[in-house]
Amino acid sequence: MRFRLWMYFFRQALTSILNNRVFHAIGLSTMVVSLLIFGTFLILFVNLNAWLGGWGQSLTMSVYLKDGTSETKNDEIASLIRKLQGAEIKRFISKEGALRDLRKALGSHAGLLEGMSVNPLPASFEVIFKDGDGQKTDPLKMKNELESIEGVDEVQYSEEWLKRFKGLMNMVRLVGFIIGGLLCMGILFIVTNTIKLTIYSRRGEIEILKLVGATDWFVKAPFLLEGVIQGILSGIVALLALFAGYLLLSAKKMHFLGLAVLDFVFLPNEYVFSILFISVALGLIGSFIAVGRFFDV
Amino acid sequence: MIQLFHVFKNFGSNVALRDVDLRIREGEFVFITGPSGAGKTTLLRLIFGAERPVSGHILIDGINLNRISRTKLDLLRRKIGFVFQDFKLLPRKTLFENVALALEVTGERRSFIRKKTHQALRLVGLAEKQTAYPLQISGGEQQRVAIARAIVKDPLILLADEPTGNLDPELTKDIMVLFRSVYMKGTTVVVATHSRDLLEDTEQRTILLNRGRITG
Ligand SMILES: Nc1ncnc2c1ncn2[C@@H]1O[C@H](COP(=O)(O)OP(=O)(O)O)[C@@H](O)[C@H]1O
Ligand SMILES: [Mg+2]
Repeated sequence: MRFRLWMYFFRQALTSILNNRVFHAIGLSTMVVSLLIFGTFLILFVNLNAWLGGWGQSLTMSVYLKDGTSETKNDEIASLIRKLQGAEIKRFISKEGALRDLRKALGSHAGLLEGMSVNPLPASFEVIFKDGDGQKTDPLKMKNELESIEGVDEVQYSEEWLKRFKGLMNMVRLVGFIIGGLLCMGILFIVTNTIKLTIYSRRGEIEILKLVGATDWFVKAPFLLEGVIQGILSGIVALLALFAGYLLLSAKKMHFLGLAVLDFVFLPNEYVFSILFISVALGLIGSFIAVGRFFDV
Repeated sequence: MIQLFHVFKNFGSNVALRDVDLRIREGEFVFITGPSGAGKTTLLRLIFGAERPVSGHILIDGINLNRISRTKLDLLRRKIGFVFQDFKLLPRKTLFENVALALEVTGERRSFIRKKTHQALRLVGLAEKQTAYPLQISGGEQQRVAIARAIVKDPLILLADEPTGNLDPELTKDIMVLFRSVYMKGTTVVVATHSRDLLEDTEQRTILLNRGRITG
């Protein structure tokens, strides 16, 4: 397609936007609000995932030792544990230490322990796993490896928490898809009707264009461009507003579920481009639906 | 240039054209006349492809309108200028923009469009008023803008529907002079009119329509 034709379409689209600025302003602001809702949800999702994932990342396991292991044996076990991917020994809890902890935990009920002749509590290592470069720790595999070390009796970690975390994130994702889908349909509806209104306001001109030999494509192209411009504008405005809101919030100390959240991050680039792409695509599809039918002249 | 073979057209029970056979050669100047309701407008609209015949064939420049695609018809219309009875000017565009519209759809250069639009407006004597809006000028002037828009693309065929409808005799003469000059440049001109006055002092070929039938 020739460049000057595109320039013509572009001028037509801009003129039409200016002439129908009220429709466009309404359409644009509703679109921006929809995109903002969606973007806010995405930011929350991304951060929630990072925070909760962060807890999951510093997976802690308690490695209980068999009774009566010698000190050298313990050192041997410790060095084997350290060889595991991402493993770090946080502390060693001796049998006595475990009993002391238990006493402290029982507090005023510590008297219950007085009658015991032997210490039934095992010694243990508390091990933290940190995710390496892009590698997630597989808790089950680690548990098996730890248990295969000689002198290790049992390994415990909170599987429940991990499962619940995954389940929660899947729920959040599902809700996100539903909200996103509904908002997309809403935006499509808005664009289609905005463009339909501008088409209606220019129906006299369209009739005459057809009478002087304009092709359908020639009549439709400016309206398609109008939808795309609306998509680009609302995408950019929504992202800027989102970023401004992000700056405002992250400047203050964020507290989430009583926890001071250290890194509150903005959307990664691919999400930013996705939002822009989606708004442009919706602008194009919406205007495409709107120009679908042109009265035959 | 224009050929009609056994063309019928009706609107419901209202028969507008009956078995119309017609041949207009390239570069001819033809009047179509007859009383109001005879079918003159319908005939022009059929030639323009704005209506389709119920039966029969219409050939324009050798192209059968029954077999033409939508896009081809759009392209064919660029070779046909139509002066509508109600002018069909856009009230929110200047006279210049109204005339230029007929060239813009062809995707021509802006400089070329500007030049041709000026020429056309000068030809109809409205060069000075090009920045005015249709509602700021008289009916006779609107008529001339409509003619300028129809001839700005140098059409092969110029169709005019009652172009002197409600103009005084002086203006009517001016308009006819205009059509004559277009005809002199080789354009096929077809003018529909119910006014007999228009025909008195011409020796042009005249097709008489009566209740949808050619009677002379
Ligand atoms: N769009 C239409 N719908 C219904 N009837 C029409 C339509 N156009 C024309 N007619 C009828 O066709 C006949 C011819 O009309 P027309 O071609 O306008 O005549 P003229 O231009 O000679 O006055 C008239 O009886 C008119 O009522
Ligand atoms: Mg008529």
